[in-house]
Amino acid sequence: MSSMRFAITMLSFVGIASIIGTILKQKQPYESYIIKFGQFWFDIFKHLDLFNVYQAIWFLIILVFLITSTSLCVVRNSPSILREYHKFQDQIREKSLRSFKHSYEIKIPIFNKLNLISLLEKNSFKVRQKSNPSGDLLIVAKKGSFQKLGYIFTHLAIIVISAGGLLDGNLILKTQELLGLKEIQTQDIPLSEIPSKSRLNVNNFSYRANVLLSEGEKQDVGVIPSKDGYLIQELPFSIGLKDFNIEHYSSGQPKSYESDLILTSKSTGKTKEQKISVNKPLTFEGVTIYQSDFQDGGTKLKIMVTDLQSNDKPQTMNAEVFKINNLIYMDQSYSFEFDDFRLFNILDIDSSQKKNSQNVGPNFTYKIRNQSGQANEYQTYQMPMKLDGRYFFVSGMRPTPQEDYKFLKMPADAKGSLEGFFIFKNLLLDKKNIERAINKVILSSSSSKAVNTDNLKLSTSKLFRTFQQGGYNAIALSIDKNIPGTEQESAANAYIKIILLVANQILLDYQSTNILDKFFNFEDLPLFTQDALNAYSDSFFYGTPLFLELKEFEHVQASGLQLTKSPGKFWVYLGSIMLVIGIFCMIYIQEVRLWILKKKNSKNILLTLTTNRHHLTFDSYVDEIKNKINALSKKG
Amino acid sequence: MKDQVSLYNKIFISSLVALASYALIKFHNYMDGYEIAILISSIFAFSWLGFSWANFKNFFITIFLLSFLSIFLYQGNLFIAEEDFFLKYFLSSQSAIMWMSALYPLSLIIYWFHLFNSQEFSGKLASSLVWIATTLGTSGLLIRWYESYLINIDIGHIPISNLYEVFVLFCIITALIYMYYEERIGTKKLGAFILVIINIAVGFLLWYSFAKGAHEIQPLVPALQSYWMKIHVPANFIGYGAFAIAAMVSMAYLVVDKGWLTKYLPEKEVLEDMTYRTIAIGFIFFTIATILGAVWAAEAWGGYWSWDPKETWALIVWLNYAAWLHLRLIKGLRGNLLAWWSIIGLFITAFCFLGVNLFLSGLHSYGEL
Ligand code: HEM
Repeated sequence: MSSMRFAITMLSFVGIASIIGTILKQKQPYESYIIKFGQFWFDIFKHLDLFNVYQAIWFLIILVFLITSTSLCVVRNSPSILREYHKFQDQIREKSLRSFKHSYEIKIPIFNKLNLISLLEKNSFKVRQKSNPSGDLLIVAKKGSFQKLGYIFTHLAIIVISAGGLLDGNLILKTQELLGLKEIQTQDIPLSEIPSKSRLNVNNFSYRANVLLSEGEKQDVGVIPSKDGYLIQELPFSIGLKDFNIEHYSSGQPKSYESDLILTSKSTGKTKEQKISVNKPLTFEGVTIYQSDFQDGGTKLKIMVTDLQSNDKPQTMNAEVFKINNLIYMDQSYSFEFDDFRLFNILDIDSSQKKNSQNVGPNFTYKIRNQSGQANEYQTYQMPMKLDGRYFFVSGMRPTPQEDYKFLKMPADAKGSLEGFFIFKNLLLDKKNIERAINKVILSSSSSKAVNTDNLKLSTSKLFRTFQQGGYNAIALSIDKNIPGTEQESAANAYIKIILLVANQILLDYQSTNILDKFFNFEDLPLFTQDALNAYSDSFFYGTPLFLELKEFEHVQASGLQLTKSPGKFWVYLGSIMLVIGIFCMIYIQEVRLWILKKKNSKNILLTLTTNRHHLTFDSYVDEIKNKINALSKKG
Repeated sequence: MKDQVSLYNKIFISSLVALASYALIKFHNYMDGYEIAILISSIFAFSWLGFSWANFKNFFITIFLLSFLSIFLYQGNLFIAEEDFFLKYFLSSQSAIMWMSALYPLSLIIYWFHLFNSQEFSGKLASSLVWIATTLGTSGLLIRWYESYLINIDIGHIPISNLYEVFVLFCIITALIYMYYEERIGTKKLGAFILVIINIAVGFLLWYSFAKGAHEIQPLVPALQSYWMKIHVPANFIGYGAFAIAAMVSMAYLVVDKGWLTKYLPEKEVLEDMTYRTIAIGFIFFTIATILGAVWAAEAWGGYWSWDPKETWALIVWLNYAAWLHLRLIKGLRGNLLAWWSIIGLFITAFCFLGVNLFLSGLHSYGEL
């Protein structure tokens, strides 16, 4: 197991497993896998723990093998390396010296031992000398011994890092789970009902738990998500959120997320108030608290419900994000499920320019569920947005989350509010008004020709009734049914024109009797009329006649915190430092051994150099040393 | 001569110290302890580089002169770039980077020319072009740093935070590492290979910039606002650059091994040695970068290792080169297999650098907070 081959095999396994873990998105809800792969593959993948590779038993086993193998390798190689580290090889024979690649006879006119030794020492060699009884002198030198220690450092580092990692892993929790001591909670039940089997106590020495706090809320437990459920982690302190803040760049993108926390120790009662933000965590009682996430914390919404297809009086409704409101309207019961509120929305609405992201203000998201349980999802913006140069109130609807929102666009009135549109809609649905307007329009347009105005009035009223009941779509259907193909288009154009004229007339009438309010003070009133008619007509595709207008809100945010206790971190960092030092030693220190043998009566010396790594630079290094010795031997 | 050199060195170091002191005095309110430490250690790092590598010193001085010239021309107003001739065509960050993008392809062509005709002049020309391109690219990044502050003081940040910026970084770091070895090994023949990978990056850069408008300066998301980014990213890119060079040299090795171009390219041993050395240096820096990444992750996300795709792929890259080093150093393996391996290594590295951002999601794509 201490063989290189085994180690490399294990390394490859870790590599392959890791790749799987990155390609298959990890820790998703189980349903999303079933949708993606089908039940058959889902079962197989689940058995192999492929949805959580890095915590899978088999993955841990590979890691343990790798650590063992590396440990054995270190244990096997270290003693000899340590021995080598101190040892000067002074027992070596002349014959073996000559057999090395870099072994040279050098002529020495003047031999000065001390100068030679100091030359070697200047070149960072450690030097020993030894004379035999026969009078031969052997100088033994070496440098770069740290290179070998680098091996021990590197491989010990890997063991230390992995051990630290295992300490922070969930091995212990896994064992407790296998022994039946702990159980993952899969139901969404109130905190107080969660049994102790699904709770981890304060003394748990290593964990990563989440806490979600609304502003003003306080908690003393965290949640550890696990497989398809969760566990509860008791904390040694309570943690309260005073305030959560998002700062934005002038362009609207988020710049910082900050939570003002109040921590109170359970054991000492000590409290601490501090602000944390991304990249600036806080450690309290051995637990480190990070800003990790945020969401709505139950924003209070004041809403006006208007029926777009009748002139009933609007109703006000007080709602809250994550709560459900019920309403009985026209013998139908509706439930409104409020899902989210966002204060800032950066949209790229004007597609004519390249980059034009801007903040379009708050929106809120909700579902409207009817009696039969069916629901559409809505997303409604509070402020009007500029589209094609005009302002519109925009609300999106989609039957399922897989689809894109389709938007209902209601024109803003001259005051920038929705009221003008609602007035218009009420006028449009008021029979008497319409009749009056139709009369006026027909009189002014047909005064010269003596046509049968009564007939014209009648058909126009009928046309209008159709529009009231189903918008342009209803008119298109009736044209399809009643008018021959060739005349359809001209009829449609004529109808649209008449509707526009009449609708415009309604507004003119309204203006003349309500001089004081200035909802329709447009340069180009027919344009507003046209937008308003379109909006009314589109409301038949909106899934509900009820429009929810956000009047006021009180923003409540929730901050997502991560709480970690990781005793392994110290070891991982220590190991990392060892690793860097070790690799550095191994790669950048070259071990060199050098021998100089001077026979008693010889005019020559035998110079031999060896290294354990043959890089190209070694040859030039040998030349350099040779030249220095040559130069020295001429001077003495 | 010797006196002149050491005088030059002295001037170099004094200006480095002066520059850093100026930055410290003027901006210390905006820096935290770590950033000051990074600033001071970079004086040492650059002094050392300048000392041991004369051309680097020239390069370094030039980029600062160019950047100061640009800052001077800007006069604190971003819109001057539209009117001022020099800014518009040379020294706004975008123009400087475009010049870089034009000069690298040119030097690639000249390197190939040099490969076959071996004239000294063509070799010198090719190297000079690489130096000029690299100088402009680096100045471009520095100027971009300044421009980001002109847009808005709180948008300002070091320009190594999005794909566009790190592609420029990749080009200049790879070029610098190569120039170092070109001088050391004394051959200009490998430029024909190394410049290929640099130009691939240039191609991506241009596409990314024209098709996606990626050169716009965007503010930093909160997770990236950390001093760790200033060392983590450059360390990573020294690793990427070195691995890329190793792969291209291995390519040259395989070519020679086939018996092609043997008249023109260095010997196999030289190529092999250079592959080893670049992988070794890349390995060290990549190790450091991964560790710094873990430390940063611990601070930003609350865990030093989350098996996030980018982290995991960094581990895979690391294991790959660790295996490579084992085989070469312990088994004494040489030759074709290792050359192919280092080429495949580049693909693994490229996936870690790019593929993860394009194909996989995770904390590093900053989709969320
Ligand atoms: C987690 C697994 C391992 C990793 C990441 C790893 C990493 C490394 C690294 C980075 C080097 C340095 C190469 C160089 O000098 O540039 C190295 C060298 C070496 N490794 Fe490993 N290693 C691992 C497991 C093993 C195992 C299990 C063995 C036992 C057979 C082993 C034996 C060696 C030896 C003998 C050297 C060369 C020492 C020398 O001569 O200087 N390694 N290793």
